[in-house]
Amino acid sequence: MLLAPSPGAGYNSPVPPVSQTIRVTVLFFGRLKELAGRAEDSVEFSDATTIEQLFALYVARHPELAKYRSSVVASRNQEFAPWDTPLRSGDEVAFLPPVSGG
Amino acid sequence: MATLPHDDIYQLVREPIDMVALVSHVRAPEDGAIVTFDGFVRNQSHNRPTLYLDYEAYESMALAKMREIGAQLHEKYRIHCVAMVHRLGRLEIGETSVFIAVSAPHRAAAFDACRFAIDTLKRTVPIWKKEYFEDGAVWADGELPPAPAATSRAKPAS
Repeated sequence: MLLAPSPGAGYNSPVPPVSQTIRVTVLFFGRLKELAGRAEDSVEFSDATTIEQLFALYVARHPELAKYRSSVVASRNQEFAPWDTPLRSGDEVAFLPPVSGG
Repeated sequence: MATLPHDDIYQLVREPIDMVALVSHVRAPEDGAIVTFDGFVRNQSHNRPTLYLDYEAYESMALAKMREIGAQLHEKYRIHCVAMVHRLGRLEIGETSVFIAVSAPHRAAAFDACRFAIDTLKRTVPIWKKEYFEDGAVWADGELPPAPAATSRAKPAS
């Protein structure tokens, strides 16, 4: 989604040429939900962001998440997704601990 | 994703699973075999007595993954109909958490498909169980779903 130009911002204004706001929904499950202290979150970025960077944001807030990084799989819009997947506005990202259904 | 036969059943439920109804649902005159898998809550885990289990799921993705498994079954095996139901929430010892029924004209395909279905479900469907014991609770050790390593050469989702 493109940001609406701010009032008075002309072509020569010192703003980044491609300014985008990315808003994503983030879901946590299993023990990750307990560590993150929430099941769902909504975050907004002004720069290109990957799933890996998104996870790092939560590690910064909840350092104990770091040790689970290697056993977490991510999904984007209900599909397993690589960690370097770039996020788009409206994406639903989930962090999934090892699955144990059945 | 391949379209599924419309009489297949893929569900997440919070009530006891009606296994008899599911078996009769997949049964048809042109079939000769039904193989079922009934997964239920064991009374111990690593020799610790279990009180009960609590299941949760990423429901939209879990259903999508269950349907994907169904599509694979129909591609790989000569089967007729699939019913695959997983229960969520609190389950007591002996209660069925997952039930799969596969019908086919001949038994070999039904056996193979049912085995593939439960093995793949346990590896790829985002469902988690927490085990409750006398002295606390733990998330069950799970399996890491196979995830694509990097985007650049990743194939589109099938």
